Amino acid sequence: MSGFAAVLRKDLRLELRSGESTLALLALSMLVLVVLVFALDAARVRSVDAAAGALWVAMVFAGMLGANRALLAERANGAIRGLLLSPLDPATLYAAKLAAALIFMAIAEVGAVILMVLFFNLEFDASIARLAPILALGAIGFSALATLLSAITGRTRGGDMLLPILVVPIFVPALIAGVKASAAALAGMPLSSMGDWLKIMIAFDVLFVTAGYLLFEHVVGED
Amino acid sequence: MNNSAIRNGLGYATLALMLTALFMVFDYVPPEAEQGIAQLIFYFHVPLAWVAFASFGLVAIAGVFYLWLGDQLWDDLGYAAAETGMVFCTLMIVAGSIWAKPIWGTWWTWDSRLTTTFILWLMYGGYLMLRASADDTPQVARFAAVLGIVAVLDVPIVIASVRLWRTIHPAVLVTKQGGHGLEDPRMVATLLVCLAAFTALWAWLLMLRFTQLRTRSKMGALAMRIAFATAAASDGK
Repeated sequence: MSGFAAVLRKDLRLELRSGESTLALLALSMLVLVVLVFALDAARVRSVDAAAGALWVAMVFAGMLGANRALLAERANGAIRGLLLSPLDPATLYAAKLAAALIFMAIAEVGAVILMVLFFNLEFDASIARLAPILALGAIGFSALATLLSAITGRTRGGDMLLPILVVPIFVPALIAGVKASAAALAGMPLSSMGDWLKIMIAFDVLFVTAGYLLFEHVVGED
Repeated sequence: MNNSAIRNGLGYATLALMLTALFMVFDYVPPEAEQGIAQLIFYFHVPLAWVAFASFGLVAIAGVFYLWLGDQLWDDLGYAAAETGMVFCTLMIVAGSIWAKPIWGTWWTWDSRLTTTFILWLMYGGYLMLRASADDTPQVARFAAVLGIVAVLDVPIVIASVRLWRTIHPAVLVTKQGGHGLEDPRMVATLLVCLAAFTALWAWLLMLRFTQLRTRSKMGALAMRIAFATAAASDGK
């Protein structure tokens, strides 16, 4: 467990000193929301469906950017070799990378939610608080999947373009469930009314965190 | 009996079965009363669907065996299965679309089965793009195995979510008959022959592609050995 803490601490310190990832994620989330406000002409119509959809589009784009960056820093100077040579278990490395990605995504999502409320003329009320567990479940699933697959695409030609092509279709079930649950939450429905959607997201998270944990060693090795 | 004899036998069996299937579909079987001639697409659509899904399952099985045993053979099998599966899945969607236009009045609708199939098509499209772009990476076999496994794990969740999504939103379709009502025994017979014909075609194509990929892997290994031997010889001088 100390290895996990060490890698996570390293990633967080790197981020605190440069601020690159979180700033880029926040900026991208904001731009996606702006584009969608114009594209959907949402400045006139007050629609929780459009707001929920826009939020998830921003989250997917920001998450993709974050995942692309996650292992980039390790590859740049061959630092990944050092990590792999250390007594650290690849699965632990995956868990630490996942935790870091999750923290960056959570920061970007807080920003995106605030901007969504402002841009889509919503209110800061209890319905926004009910978004928190839905977005958390979505972020866990997305980071789990994207962290695993970015270890693959980071080592191929045109990898950063390949990542969305691989991640998005697999993420579809969590995306459908997340958008539906978020729209219901923004419409003022209680969490208990969206049990089925939450169950799908929980199943997705459990499955892909486990799959990533078990399969990471097969994609991260150097040989 | 060697491999190429089996392959040729399979090829001739496919030809014979396909000709029989065509004859049965266009001449022997009565078209369904309500849908008329468009219903005949069903005899191609269902077998295409079956072989496409069988291929995608095989991709995952090959992936598990590759990660477990590390034998290049499983990787070649997974690659061949993904390619053939993609061809049949595309044909299935096209055939279904041609049927849907006269019967449902639209080329495409976001019905749960259509959506699930389309998502699968996207996933394996991504799988083939990964293989294409990582062809010169030595780890490509492991990457592909992991992706093939992850994709199949996702299928039950895709089905569950899409079904829930569609039941909450009413479908665009007004009339969609449940089942095709194969009341005539000739319909059942035709379907079975078509299933056999397409399965044979699939097995034949899969075997051809698999043999090709096996040869490529063996040649790659051979080229590597020659390169090593040449390097060792020039070092010795």
